[in-house]
Order: sequence, then C-alpha cells, then structure tokens
Amino acid sequence: MIPGKYRSVSGRAANNVNCGLHLVIQPSSLPEKNKVEFKLNRDTPSFPGRLLQHDLERNYSSRQGDHINLVNSSMPSFPILQHSSEEKSLYSDRLTLERQKLTVCPIIDGEEHLRLLNFQHNFITRIQNISNLQRLIFLDLYDNQIEEISGLSTLRSLRVLLLGKNRIKKISNLENLINLDVLDLHGNQITKIENVNHLCDLRVLNLARNLLSHVDNLTGLDSLTELNLRHNQIAFVRDVDHLPSLQRLFLSFNNISSFDSVSCLADSTSLSDITFDGNPIAQESWYKHTVLQNMTQLRQLDMRRITEEERRMASVVAKKEEEKKRESQKQSLLKEKKRLTINNVARHWDLQQRVANNATNQDRKDSASPPQDPCQTEGSTISPFPEDTGAVDSGLTSALQSLSVIDTHLVEVDGDTLSLYGSGALESLDRNWSVQTAGMITTVSFTFIEFDEIVQVLPKLKIKLPNSLHLKFKETNLAMLQQFNALAQLRRIDQLTVDPQGNPVVNFTLWKYYVLFRLSHFSMQKINGTEVTQNDMIMAERLFGILAHVASSELPQYHLISILGDARKKQFRYLLETKGKKPGIVNEENNDSKRLVGENTNRATLNYTTREFYNEKLEDIKEKKKFCKMYIEDLVKEATEINMKNEALQKLWPQMFIELVRDAVIETRNKNSYMKLCLQQITDQK
Amino acid sequence: MLSPERLAQPDYEYLAQRHVLTYMEDAVYQLLENREDISQYGIARFFMDYFNSVCQGTHILFREFSFIQATPHNRASFLRAFWRCFRTVGKNGDLLTMREYHCLLQLLCPDFPLELTQKAARIVLMDDAMDCLMSFSDFLFAFQIQFYYSEFLDSVAAIYQDLLSGKNPNTVIVPTSSSGQYRQRPALGEAGVPEGVEASLFYQCLENLCDRHKYSCPPLALVKEILNGVQRLTFYGFLGTLSKHPGINQALGALPDKADLMQDPAMDEELERLVVRSRLHRTPRQHRAKEPGATGAPRDKLEAPEKAPKPSWWQPE
Repeated sequence: MIPGKYRSVSGRAANNVNCGLHLVIQPSSLPEKNKVEFKLNRDTPSFPGRLLQHDLERNYSSRQGDHINLVNSSMPSFPILQHSSEEKSLYSDRLTLERQKLTVCPIIDGEEHLRLLNFQHNFITRIQNISNLQRLIFLDLYDNQIEEISGLSTLRSLRVLLLGKNRIKKISNLENLINLDVLDLHGNQITKIENVNHLCDLRVLNLARNLLSHVDNLTGLDSLTELNLRHNQIAFVRDVDHLPSLQRLFLSFNNISSFDSVSCLADSTSLSDITFDGNPIAQESWYKHTVLQNMTQLRQLDMRRITEEERRMASVVAKKEEEKKRESQKQSLLKEKKRLTINNVARHWDLQQRVANNATNQDRKDSASPPQDPCQTEGSTISPFPEDTGAVDSGLTSALQSLSVIDTHLVEVDGDTLSLYGSGALESLDRNWSVQTAGMITTVSFTFIEFDEIVQVLPKLKIKLPNSLHLKFKETNLAMLQQFNALAQLRRIDQLTVDPQGNPVVNFTLWKYYVLFRLSHFSMQKINGTEVTQNDMIMAERLFGILAHVASSELPQYHLISILGDARKKQFRYLLETKGKKPGIVNEENNDSKRLVGENTNRATLNYTTREFYNEKLEDIKEKKKFCKMYIEDLVKEATEINMKNEALQKLWPQMFIELVRDAVIETRNKNSYMKLCLQQITDQK
Repeated sequence: MLSPERLAQPDYEYLAQRHVLTYMEDAVYQLLENREDISQYGIARFFMDYFNSVCQGTHILFREFSFIQATPHNRASFLRAFWRCFRTVGKNGDLLTMREYHCLLQLLCPDFPLELTQKAARIVLMDDAMDCLMSFSDFLFAFQIQFYYSEFLDSVAAIYQDLLSGKNPNTVIVPTSSSGQYRQRPALGEAGVPEGVEASLFYQCLENLCDRHKYSCPPLALVKEILNGVQRLTFYGFLGTLSKHPGINQALGALPDKADLMQDPAMDEELERLVVRSRLHRTPRQHRAKEPGATGAPRDKLEAPEKAPKPSWWQPE
C-alpha cells in the first residue's frame, strides 16, 4: 500500500478485484469530474493460473479487451505496457500496476516522464526494465517477492522507495539514489545496515520486521528524522548519536536488555520520541527512570508524553541508585582490603610459626649428642643436616621482615563483634573507645595472635569491653590446658569458641571438661557452639574436682597466699578459718560468700603464667636459691663445728670427769689441811 | 633410728644422703619469698607448716621442676600427687595421648619437661607410634619408673647401646648428658642378628652400675628376678616389664598397687561433696537469672540437695 502521506485526498483505494488487468490512475491534481476510470473487463479468461506462474516466456498478447495493450515485444520475455495516447496525456506521471499478478516488471515504453510507479501486491522477483524511467520519483514495490535490490542505478531522481514485505537479504545498490527521502525496507530479511551512508537526504528509514541484531553504520544520514526498527532482534544500538536530525526512534519488540547497550542514545540531542516496549529492558524495575534520567531531551516514551512528575521521580530514584552503587563499591573495596590484610597476617603468622619450630628444633639438635641420628620430634620432621636448617631459618626470617612492611594487623568492629587479626591488633584495646561502641560489643574474636600475648591484654579487655560475653580463638597456638586458667580473671564468659585450626588443644579428649571445671564460676552456656548441659558440668567436676580440692586445702598456707596474692588473701583466709571453725553446719554462708567472691576459690590457685614470665621467675628463683644455699652452708658449717666440738667433748669428757673427781678426792683427803686451804683461799680473794 | 652406721658417717655425707640441706634451703627460700605474710603468723609456725607439708607430700604442688626433681622423696610425692589428682580421669576410662598427659603434668608443674613424658610414653608404647592413646594406669606406672629412676635409666640406656654394639661392658660408662637421647635401635631384620642383648651379661652390668652410683636404683633383687626369666631382652622390653612389676611399686611406696589404683575412698567422698555443692551453686544461679527479685539464701534451704545420679562404675566404699 502506498503510505498514507502519498495518498491523495480524494483518492480511492484500489479495488480488490483480481481479474484482468486493472488500471487505476489516481490523479491528484485533476478535479473530481475528470477522474477517469477505466472500465473493468470482467469476462477475462482465466489468467490467474497462467499469470501466477513465474513464466517469463508468457505471451500476454492473447488477451483481449484491454484498453491497455500488452503487446508482444520483440523480446520474448517481458510484456510491454502501452498507454493509449489519450491516457498518456492526462495522467502521464503516474502508473499503478497493483495486484496485477505480475511476476516480472513489465517493460514500460514511452513513459520516460513517469514520476510515480506502483507495483504493490504483485509477485515480482526482480526489479528490472525501469532503467529508462529516469524521472521516477516514487517507486512502490511493496508486497512482492524481490530478493535483491538492483536495477535502480539510473533512477537518480528517486525520492521514495518502498520495498516493504519482500525477500531482500541485503541493502545494496543504492549508490546513485542520493536524493532518496524515504526508504522503506520493512518486512524483509535484512541482517545488517550497510550501504546507506551516502543517503544524506534520507528522512525516513523503515527497517521494521527484519533480522537485524545490532544497529550501527548509520553515519552520513544527516537528515534522518525517523528510524523504525521495530520487531527485530536488536541487542545493541550504536551510532545513533551521529544522526543529527533524528527525532523519532522506534525500537519496540527487540532484544535490548540494558541501557548500556543503547548508551549512544543519551548523547543524541535531537531525539524526542523513543519506544522500547516489548524489550526485556522494559520489564526491569529501573527501566523508566534510567531512560528518563539518561535522556533528558525526551518528550515521549513508548508513545506517551513524559510528565514533569515522572522526570522528577526519575532523577530522585536515579540519585538513590547512584548512592547505593557508590556505597556498595566502597563496601567491596573495604572488603577487598580486609581480605588482603588478613591474608598478609596469615602469611606472617605462618612464617613466625615455622621460624619458631625451626628454632626449637635447632635447640633440640644442639642438645643431642650424635648429629647424624635423626631425632624424632613430635609434629615436625627436621632435616638431619644442621646447615640446611640454618639456611632455611635465615631465609624465613628475612621473608618475615619483608612482610612487616605492609599491614600486619587488622581491627574490625562489626556491630557486636570485635575481630582482631595479628598481634599488632591488640594495641587497639589501648585506644579510647566510645562508651556506646564498647558497650555494644559482645563477641571478641582473636585470629593469628599468640595466646600468651592475648593473656597479657585480658585485664584491659575486662575494663574496656565490659559486655564481652563470647570469646573466639583461631590460630592462637592454644596448646596447653593450663592456658585456660588465664581466662578465669575475666568478668564473665557465656560462650567460648576455640577453632581447631591452629589450636592443638582441641585435639585433647578432656579439654572441654577442663574449661568447664576451671571456669565453672562463669556458668558458660556454650562451648564451640554446643550447649553445655548439667551432665557436662557434673562430669567436669568429677574429673577435676579432686585437683581443685588438693590445690586449695592441701596447699600449705604460705604457698597458698603467695599464689593468690594480696587481694584474695583475706577472703580466702576468712573462708578457711570459718570452714575450720564450723565444720558441721551446712555451707550456706560459704556458698554465699563464694558467690560474692565471684570465683570458686578452690581453683583460684590454678593460674597460668606465660612462658616468658615464668622463665623470668625461674631466673629470679635461681638467684634467691643461691643466696639461701650460701646461708644454709654457713649454718651447716657452724652446726658441724659445734657438732665436732660436741663430739670431741663427748670423747674427752670421761677422762676429764675422772680427773676432776680425782683432784677433788685428793684435795679433801685431809680434812684439816683442806679447811686451812679453803680459808686461805678466801682470805686471798679479799 | 640411732643406728651406729648413721653416727659413723661424716656430717656432710649424712646430711646429703638424707637431703636435709635441700629442704632447709627450700624452707629458707620460701621464708624469703613470703616474709611479710609469714612474719604475721610467726616463723615457728611457718617451719611447722613447711615440714608438715614435706611429710605429707604436698610441698611439691605447683613448684618448679628443679625442686621436684631434687630428692627422691619429692619425686615420690609428686607421683602420688599426680595419682591423687587425676585418678578420676583414669577411672572415667579415658585414653589420652602423650601430649595430653603432659598437659596434666604441667597443671601441677608448669615447666615439666616434655622429654620425660616422651620417654615414659616410649616405655608404654614400646617406642612405636608415639601418637597412640594410653590408659591411665599404663602411663602412670611407666612414668613412675621413668621419673623416679631417670638417671638410672639413662645409664642403662647407655649400657644397652654399648652391649648392642659389642663394646666391653665392664668399662666405666658415664652418660654424656642427663637428658641423653636414646639412639634408635639398630635396624633389625639382618639375617642372624638376634634382637636385644643377653640377659645375664646385662644383669652383670646393671649390678656394677648400682654398686657404683649414688642415685637411687631399683632393688637389685627385682632386677635379677626379671632378668632371670629371659634369655635375651630389648631395652624397652626390659623397661616395660620393670614398670609393670608390682615389687617396684611397693619399693617406691608412692602409688597403690595396680588393682587398687582407682580406689581412694576419702577423696571420693570429698568429690561427692564437691559435685553436690557445684550443682547447688549452679542451679540457684540459674534460677536467680530468671527471677531477679528473689534472694539467694532461703532458696538454698528450700532446695534439698538432690543426689547426682551415680554412674555404674562409681563405687564409694
């Protein structure tokens, strides 16, 4: 059909009669009364059968009764059209051959001034025999079977080319049609836009219902105002911003799913009307405001005017989205940074552990006598050659140093959880914590930090984070049961999680019971995620109760006091004394006071001192013991001297006694002379 | 007590043999450490307490390893303390690894060396699969001889190695270090090389050793008894038999016989009391958590202490 624009005001639609050649000429300039219609010749023989065959050898000359004569031509293939001279003069610039069952373009003789040619609704397969119509402006080949654009190279004046509903696979051979104004290629099989860049006067391009999958190569179409791409398979659009005049763009029923694929539309300043309905993008929640936000020049979207309200909403929503995106970007950056830091800390930790292992192995090797026998140490195997170990060791320490340049610790507060990675993170407890943040924290997680270092920080933890109820340890080298003793100094623990990774203590059969026993005053709810039952507590008490008893009541007084320290001394002594005084009474008071004390004092003596401190203590002890030894040696010397003297006396005494007695007897033998002697002694003394 | 031999010994020797000086020195050291506190209740009382604890065997609790190792009495006391404290673990039937036993030891003595525990474990496990689980009684008896007779065992190890390599057993053997590593047994499986050493030769060397050295040795009669029964023996075989021999246990006097190892009525009673008290301690607290207004004391009276359900193996006598 001829597009409406080109239909005359008083035009009559072509009749749908299909018998015989029906010529309708619709003059647009002549007045009504001069409209001439050629009569129908209704008793035409049955042409349709023969006409429908694409038989180029057909001879139409056998028809009769036509005012238009299709005369046999010298060439056997094409019918020749001839106007009567009458008609020629009246309607010389239009020729309509609609629904003529044509399978070929007839040769049109003597019509060189023809301006409008209509071949709609035929069966033409090739555009031919119109090269001579060099004044042709309007060519309508809608609804034919044309497979290729050809035969138009002489039609330099052509302005409207209608090739809709054909079988064209490729846009080509339009080089000379530089005056083309309207190009209609809808309903074909075109897969690619090409060979149209020279059509700088083209105003309307219709490529609807084709097989286009993308849109590009639209440069040069400086006049293009309307571009119809409905019902294709378009996934992305390019080059539209190079169309300076484009006002209407129809992309309905394609395959566009994101605005990025049509991003060039945002750059087009001329676009005012666009349709996206039937695309996946139109189903998205962000569709409308994204389009409105990116194409502020639009007036109509999907054939509906855009109101101010809509625009405002769109910008608001778009801003929110932008912010959200920025937030999530920031979040992911932070997360990445966190991950990298944790990796770094983990590497650092690993190296440290290996260095420590090597060091202890080195010590053991030094103490062993024969160096060629490999000694079996628990866990790690060492090479039998000390030189190798040394080399590895130095390599490791240098790697350790190089790592410390980057971030070696991470502190993270996430709502109610404080996560510390790396021993440097412990310093964060020194910082000033806002009461609110500190109060919210209920879980503290330690990773890649030596437990001994954590122990030193526990008092600070107690003060700064009073609500911390759940402690988590991972890769903290918890290897001995007595390390749990250190946790007793905290205010309260409800949950304890000791990750098997990096904490060998979890491999022990009794570790949970020991924890429950030692920290019984906390009444813990969960250990490693499992609830603590009454049975567990009883079992713990059963297993280690005697230890507590021995550790408290059997320790000599002085030892007890020295372990417990000043603060507890008085309480403990009070408890022990009262216990001793009233053995028979049910221990109500003791229970109460025990609760007051806050800890089962009978296990208060089970403490943990970190290795460093303990070694220091041992050094101290050595000094003192040396002194004691010297002191005792002096005492012993004295004692042995005295003993010797004593023994000597023992030996000599009988002899001495006999002599004493003998002397006395000899003296007192003569009473008189003895009396005289005594008196003399007395007078001498005066 | 007042035997003539005793009086015949010179002073220093006498004192040294009975380790009197060690205790005196330690007493003075304790005095030094806690002088402010002790001065409050009197030095005489302190000495009384101290020597009482030495007699009872509680003086070694939580002390440093060098002190615990110093005298045979200390070692025996330590063994006894270990038994008393952790008998319940054995009674419960748990099998533990060497490392875990070492942890338990460290609960009583923070710097107890790992080597001793390892050596004890080797005796139990016959130097094989060191990560194996061991029962409480096995470990305890092996640990007993290892700890009490450490120097003796080191010398025996040296002797054994020499005998294995065919050296003259009658040369004076001095162990090079007190914590000497046992060399690995020579590869077995060579055709015609019998395992271990000849028992009689071994006994001769041991006899020499016991005569020569001052440190405590197991009674020779027992050793003779063990070695008479076999033709050849390996080092760990010998030690294993030694540890399981009841005579050794009686000679040391620290631990009860194997049959009675899990029995300690006095302690069991005490334990019951503790368990009950802990239940009381726990439940009122939980109740208190739910009802914050109630007071603690009257609640205790209301709740009669219910007996904990006794497991089948619990037999207080």
